[in-house]
Amino acid sequence: MSHVSLQNVAVAYQKTNILENFNLDIPEGELVSLLGPSGCGKTTTLRLVAGFLQSHQGSIQVGGKDYTTVPVNKRNFGFVFQNYALFPHMSIFDNIAFGLRQRKVSKKDTYTKVMEMLELVGLQHFENRFPKELSGGQKQRVAIARALVINPDLLLFDEPLSNLDANLRVSMRSEIRRIQQESGIAAIYVSHDQEECFSISDRVAIMNKGVIEQLDHPAAIYHRPRTSFVASFIGFKNFLRFDRRSENGQKPIFYKGDSTFAVSYEKDTGSMTGVIRPDDIRIKPAGPPVTENELSGTIITAIFLGRSYQYEVKTEHGSFTANQEMTIPFQSGDSVVLDMPPHKWVLVEESEVPSYAG
Amino acid sequence: MKQYGKYLFLLPGLLVLTLFMIIPIAGTILSTFFDAGSFTLAGYMQYLQDPYFLNILWVTLRTSLLTTLICILLAFPAAYYISKCRPRMKMILLLLSIFPLLTSPVVRSFSWMVILGKGGIIDNTMALFGSDTSISILYTPTAILIGLVHLFLPLSIITLVGVMENIGDDVVEAAKSLGASASTTFWHILLPLSVPGLMTGSILVFVGSFTAYTTPALLGGRESVISTFLYQNAVTLNDWQLASVVATIMIVLSFVVIGIMNWLAGKVAVRGGNIRG
Ligand SMILES: Nc1ncnc2c1ncn2[C@@H]1O[C@H](COP(=O)(O)OP(=O)(O)OP(=O)(O)O)[C@@H](O)[C@H]1O
Ligand SMILES: [Mg+2]
Repeated sequence: MSHVSLQNVAVAYQKTNILENFNLDIPEGELVSLLGPSGCGKTTTLRLVAGFLQSHQGSIQVGGKDYTTVPVNKRNFGFVFQNYALFPHMSIFDNIAFGLRQRKVSKKDTYTKVMEMLELVGLQHFENRFPKELSGGQKQRVAIARALVINPDLLLFDEPLSNLDANLRVSMRSEIRRIQQESGIAAIYVSHDQEECFSISDRVAIMNKGVIEQLDHPAAIYHRPRTSFVASFIGFKNFLRFDRRSENGQKPIFYKGDSTFAVSYEKDTGSMTGVIRPDDIRIKPAGPPVTENELSGTIITAIFLGRSYQYEVKTEHGSFTANQEMTIPFQSGDSVVLDMPPHKWVLVEESEVPSYAG
Repeated sequence: MKQYGKYLFLLPGLLVLTLFMIIPIAGTILSTFFDAGSFTLAGYMQYLQDPYFLNILWVTLRTSLLTTLICILLAFPAAYYISKCRPRMKMILLLLSIFPLLTSPVVRSFSWMVILGKGGIIDNTMALFGSDTSISILYTPTAILIGLVHLFLPLSIITLVGVMENIGDDVVEAAKSLGASASTTFWHILLPLSVPGLMTGSILVFVGSFTAYTTPALLGGRESVISTFLYQNAVTLNDWQLASVVATIMIVLSFVVIGIMNWLAGKVAVRGGNIRG
């Protein structure tokens, strides 16, 4: 049985449905992150679980207990806010002790627990400071300590690292992961940063317009997006809608106009849309006749990305984006051939997607 | 050089204050200690031993403290509600709450005279319930109190809204998510974080009602407060020396009360700075 279970919940603001028939299950001790474009309902989901919002249908269960109508202050979930939301008029000690005091923990135990927490987040000797006297990363750690010290049944993070600089984000996220795993508390983690989500989560939920399009292990999401939305969101820039397919031995062959593409994707759902990452397309100078899995085109733009160049290539099936490291780059106007190997293709279900080639 | 540069900005204000406030006030205060060129405390002794004056002082102090307290109590929930409204609604409500400020205190006091006086709404309603109609609220300290609360409530609301707007929803939500009940959230989060606004508002209201003239003069009838008493001394009796003594007593008392308020505020609030963390 899963530890956290959202069944058929729904949220609407001013008659606009933000979440509808929303389901999410999280096993004991797992960290699931919600990833999706701005406005897709990540914060709404989190606030619903926290109890700041009410679902007008369905149920929310945590650890076998029904929480659908339990008020926020009776939930015992730790919430880490994007901008920390520390109490500015309280010392760090009092900030962390606040939740314990609501639970009538004795003075002595409060002291011990707060001190343990400060040590866990690496802020020994900070107990007498005030939030104003801390750096962003330190505030963040206080916010985490404050949420953890109550020994919550569930941890909720809403973009907890988005106010920090890049280096600090990387070190803080592994710290969050370590603390979460040590405490074994299930967690829902919202972030905009894909790398952050992939590195920190047991599973990632890709959301679009209030719906989870795919909930899977990070590597599975990265390599095997299920829908075209997920694919485009995680960086498959090239889409090709095939005209027809034929089975030829074990590999299906796809046709688009005069071009043919062999695709060796293990999860063949019979879908007719193929996607491929810019990194997985090889660009060759035009010359020998074009064969299977190749497409001729013309370079439109070449952008220097540092490690590689990114090319925009116009073909008869629309424009493609390809990244390539090379010493002598192609110039715009060059005739080239795109090589898209069978094992690099992924077949996806059509879902709503920003404009694409094909 | 650079550090001192910023003080230049103070100069114009300081100049005006010195010329038109500090010097005249210092003059007023100094004059109270001298009679015909020699040092004396006779003016003070005369007043501080006069039961009639002490009573006026007490009524004034009590009325203005009560005004302050009632204003805080009435303004707090209203201000909290207004501060949580959407911008458009907030504008409307703020405008409505400062609307009374746009009519002169004289006009407002006259309206209260009609309401509170003989044959007014209150009087008639009381009569309906068989009350002795000869008891009128008008010309009592209560009438002054009502008039002053009406006068200063907008001020309290505006100053409080200003502070409460800066108390983030997330801080309140954080408290709740940590298990705080509504009352704990109020006492431990909202109230302490509102202290700066409460302070400013209370000082304005207190000083304003302590020194108010028009409202007590019209609604108080023969009931004197310290400012009407001062006026009598200065204008009617033409005793400027004694009026200065009264003025000095007022100034000193104001500072004492403000000091006490500050001290109280320090008890509830905010080290490490104000509002946002
Ligand atoms: N208080 C509100 N009133 C009305 N609509 C709201 C409110 N809060 C959020 N919304 C709407 O609900 C939708 C989902 O918002 P939500 O905050 O959950 O997005 P999000 O996925 O967290 O986005 P972001 O990544 O930008 O934080 C948005 O379209 C937003 O405009
Ligand atoms: Mg959000």
